[in-house]
Amino acid sequence: MPAETHVVPDPLDRDQIFTIVRDLLVDILELDPEAITEGKSFKDDLGADSLALVELVEALEEELSERTVGFRIEDEDLADLKTVRDAVDFVHSQLQAR
Amino acid sequence: MLPIAVDAMGGDRAPDEILAGALEASRLGFPVVLVGPEGLEGRGDLPLFVASEVIAMDDDPAKSVRTKKDSTLVRAAEAVRDGRASAMVSAGNTGATMASALLRMGRIKGVSRPAIATPIPVPGGSPTVLIDAGANAEVQPEWLVQFAQMGSVYAKHRFGVSSPRVGLLSIGEEPGKGDTLRKEAYELLSRAGGINFIGNVEGRDVMTDDVDVVVTDGFTGNVVLKTLEGGMRTLVRALLAAFSSKPEYKEHADVLLPALLPLYDAVDPDSTGGAVLLGVDGVCIISHGSSSARAIVNAIKVAADMVEHGMVDEIRAAIAAQPLPEATSSSE
Repeated sequence: MPAETHVVPDPLDRDQIFTIVRDLLVDILELDPEAITEGKSFKDDLGADSLALVELVEALEEELSERTVGFRIEDEDLADLKTVRDAVDFVHSQLQAR
Repeated sequence: MLPIAVDAMGGDRAPDEILAGALEASRLGFPVVLVGPEGLEGRGDLPLFVASEVIAMDDDPAKSVRTKKDSTLVRAAEAVRDGRASAMVSAGNTGATMASALLRMGRIKGVSRPAIATPIPVPGGSPTVLIDAGANAEVQPEWLVQFAQMGSVYAKHRFGVSSPRVGLLSIGEEPGKGDTLRKEAYELLSRAGGINFIGNVEGRDVMTDDVDVVVTDGFTGNVVLKTLEGGMRTLVRALLAAFSSKPEYKEHADVLLPALLPLYDAVDPDSTGGAVLLGVDGVCIISHGSSSARAIVNAIKVAADMVEHGMVDEIRAAIAAQPLPEATSSSE
């Protein structure tokens, strides 16, 4: 069996997670990357409605499931994600726990 | 043309009326595939994409699309995404239809938010396109510019209006009328390229030949739509009651009926064929919840019309040609 099939990718660090979240938000919300910082509120600052957040969650699940099998954000957890920082922290803690 | 995927289980009168409409559309020559449970009865020889779940009218839209992955709505949207259907038609939960289309087909690049365009009948004239009729309860002023662009493409290619006149729905014709959203949107629409903006219009203008595309937020648009539908229904009922109130009135009314019936038909929501979700990367027709077989036939016709006119690509080109204007207000 080729050795590379046993290689587990390094866990993503926080900065890498922020970059992934930011790039997805740029695409979903049609915003400039500079407009997205960790302190921004999804609803009040970035104009993201509940459907846009679900788009983000589905895109994150797709992006991260390649690295972490079965990565999923439950709807109950989604309600707690108010800012970009909340999302980055949540994904970071989920990946650390695996 | 690839078949049009019809959600057999969506709507208050599903599946019977939906199946009757789908069968009639097929008989008229439109390619149709149903999306419904295995063993769905009464579908004649129509093909079926199997889906085991149904999203109810009162289910939470976004949550249900995530949890009911084998629902008729989600499977219909996936059929369009995967190139197995050319369009989807549903009379089911409006929010969930929009969420399924958005999450499975995706947005056209550059579109901030998809919006629902509904043709409002204008007796003797071409319909007025009301956009947004209910997709986005809260909007930003820049989104209204895109609604205007998408509504214009729709009016042009569906109703043959060469340079659709776009009006911003407000409470007065003067530019300063309305709330903050309307004032900011007015300014942006005045500067936007690719549209023929004629200024503010009022509710009374919607059913006239003075404007082709009426732009508003989804909350207001839905209130306007339902108000007009309710008003029409009440008016027709009152007229019929007046006509039959005395035998001599009825005699005269019978003479007038051939002239009145087409008018009634023109303002009947079932004859307009439902609303179109513009801005998603595929054709999605949202028929109202109480759709009859006739409404479904018309919705399928609209879907076929949208596919034949290449509406999605036309909108893609219009959005790419006219990027969003910069907002003047500081929202940061």
